[in-house]
Amino acid sequence: MTPPTDSRRGFLGRAIALLAGGTALLAPAVWGSIAFLNPLRLKGRSGGFRRLASLDQLPEDGTPLRLTILDERTDAWTRYPIDAVGAVFVRRTGKDRVEALQVTCPHLGCSIVYQAAPGGGAFLCPCHQAHFDLNGKRIDLPSQSPRDMDALEVEIRNRNEVWVKYQTFASGTAKKIATS
Amino acid sequence: MLHWLNDRTGCCDAWRRRADAPLPGGAGWWKTLPAAVLFVFCVQAITGFFLWTYYSPGAQSAWESVYYLQSEVAGGWLLRAAHHYAGQTLPVLVGLYLIKQVFSGTYRRTYEAVFWITLLMALCTLGLLLTGDLLAWSQNSYAATQVRVKFLTLLPGVGEGLYRIAVGGPAFGNLTLTRFLALHVGLLSGGMALLLILHGVFLRRADHNLLPSPFGRGAGGEGKGTKAPEPALTLTLSQRERGLSTFWPDQAWRNALVWLGILAVILLLALMHGTEGPDRGIKLGSPADLDPAHYYAAARPEWIFRGLYQFAQYFPGLWTVIPIFVIPGVLLAVFLLMPWFGKNVVGHFFNLLLTAFLVSAVAVLSYLSYMHDAQDPAYSAALKEEDNLAERVIQLARAKGIPPTGALTLLRNDPLTQGRRVFQQHCAACHTGAGVPAVDATAPNLTGFASRPWLAGLLDPQKIRSADYFGYKDSPFKGGRMVGHVMELLSDLDDDEKEDLKKLIMALSAEARLPAQRNIDARDAKDIEAGRKLIAEGEFGCTDCHRFHGKGQRVGPELTGYGSTEWITAITGNPASKRFYGARNDRMPAYAETDDETKNLLRNHDLEMTAEWLRGEWFRPKK
Ligand code: FES
Repeated sequence: MTPPTDSRRGFLGRAIALLAGGTALLAPAVWGSIAFLNPLRLKGRSGGFRRLASLDQLPEDGTPLRLTILDERTDAWTRYPIDAVGAVFVRRTGKDRVEALQVTCPHLGCSIVYQAAPGGGAFLCPCHQAHFDLNGKRIDLPSQSPRDMDALEVEIRNRNEVWVKYQTFASGTAKKIATS
Repeated sequence: MLHWLNDRTGCCDAWRRRADAPLPGGAGWWKTLPAAVLFVFCVQAITGFFLWTYYSPGAQSAWESVYYLQSEVAGGWLLRAAHHYAGQTLPVLVGLYLIKQVFSGTYRRTYEAVFWITLLMALCTLGLLLTGDLLAWSQNSYAATQVRVKFLTLLPGVGEGLYRIAVGGPAFGNLTLTRFLALHVGLLSGGMALLLILHGVFLRRADHNLLPSPFGRGAGGEGKGTKAPEPALTLTLSQRERGLSTFWPDQAWRNALVWLGILAVILLLALMHGTEGPDRGIKLGSPADLDPAHYYAAARPEWIFRGLYQFAQYFPGLWTVIPIFVIPGVLLAVFLLMPWFGKNVVGHFFNLLLTAFLVSAVAVLSYLSYMHDAQDPAYSAALKEEDNLAERVIQLARAKGIPPTGALTLLRNDPLTQGRRVFQQHCAACHTGAGVPAVDATAPNLTGFASRPWLAGLLDPQKIRSADYFGYKDSPFKGGRMVGHVMELLSDLDDDEKEDLKKLIMALSAEARLPAQRNIDARDAKDIEAGRKLIAEGEFGCTDCHRFHGKGQRVGPELTGYGSTEWITAITGNPASKRFYGARNDRMPAYAETDDETKNLLRNHDLEMTAEWLRGEWFRPKK
């Protein structure tokens, strides 16, 4: 049997050793982690509406054009004054109606390609072979893609200008969640 | 001296204890596996360190630094290849070791801790492969890693956040490389080293527990807290007498031979593609291109993940989370519990069956995946294209050096690469051009545009109405003025007129200053001069409709500088401008309608690249 004073001292000592030692070790880990988690605060750049093309540039038969979104791009410390930041498919659906689709696949973010075919083309994602029709609807259900292609807002201004609100969306979800 | 060292550090004692510790079950070849893992890890640490001395993580410097190592540094390519192949060997060896433990039953008492450590080592080596793959920053490594990391977004709620943490921001870039490098050489390599040390300690302890006293604590004797007596050094002789083999040298020589064997295999693999040329060692693909328009469609994971890759294809959409996270997670848990299952015969049998099943499933799935790719023409086409790109960028880097903006700039400024791409994406819907066939030919064939033979065809009454010129599908020009003019005026020419027409063609073609015609243009300077006059004021009536060096009407396209880079860039920028077709323009889009590049369909630079590509004007290395 150890005397009570001893055991109290022993307890205190152990507690101090664990607490003080633990705190000392934890502190650098915590502030390191805060820096490490910084990317969570960064947001993708949202460009708002931009003029992409004029109406008469778009083929009347509804063939989609793949248009590159040129914008300033920042990669951590590097700034590209003008660079390709994304792309959209734009196509005519009527005399003065235009539809725009994000090229990024809603599954895992590969770039969807348009496959032209004499009878009328379709969209295909080369990564896991998700197929979409010209309206961006999935065709080969059950599809690899959790949702249809992401439609973007389009406005026709001054009768001939096609303006598109370029946005990116979270991949891997059935819901369309804007990430920029 | 040695005595003194031993006295202070105990190193000799420790070595003797290790060397003379008897091995339960004796020495054997299967027992070389952990030593083999240790060896390959050492190879990785050594080669990795030297690679690191050349490596520069960064979107404009990662590929470039690897390229430099690969092509400029003596033996650099071999270093990189050795690191690559040893890296592939490591998970194989760890996997074999794991399987060996299951099949020989040594994952159970008293080896549980050894088994768990091996499992962690397996995870660690896979992590090393995954992070190492990206560092070369080639098109394949970027694209494959991109999809792989995107799997994280499938996790509900936390996915997007995890993705950002892994990537270092909303998208791949500089910070992805710094992070992956830190994980690769810091966390995972350090972790692996720690695991190897723990493995050694635990293995010795487990052996020790099994050995009969006085060497150990008696068969299966898990002494509760009582420290077993250290085997005395003097026991060596009697161990031998009793037929127990010891680590030194019975196991050690086997280990050493296996090490040599592995080294030979790694070297053979590294030398497989010879010691010369860009293919030597392990090939470096083209630099990672983050432009979504240049997405690499043939990105595939390393062979070891092929089975999983194929398996994931059977789960559509959001279900992908099952093969990627749920099933591997469950399997990991099952494996962690295996020592506990294995306590009775049924459990052990289950463990054996599961392991055998997994190994064969992975083998079959990998085979299916490779078979699928082998039969997929789109895949082979993308591979071929990537090969060409890699070859081209190295050719350019060699000749011109890499600019501060990185090697990708070389490709962006290369008509052969960029011009062809733009043509493929934007022009080939209607036009055929230099080996790129039109999807649906509804415009003239531009192969050899503005060259003498091309113009000779255009001005030939037999050909102008063919599909290659103005006779394409739905052409409004088929019955147009130009066609009428050619049919009427250029049929039934006499010999003199034929000569004149030839000179006219030479002169018009000379406007383009095509690189391929440089010599003949210089040779025919006189005829070209005569031809110019014929265009400007001759019988053929060109200037009735076309502008030519300040003369003539603006009805058809201008002929001054016809086919030059400036001319092509201008007509593709806006074909419906007064200088060209005006209102008569048939469906050709205006690719640079405004002065603000961000509002145009294409950047001016891309139009230039396309023009130069059409003109066959690009860098060719001297033989
Ligand atoms: S990323 Fe498009 S199908 Fe998987």
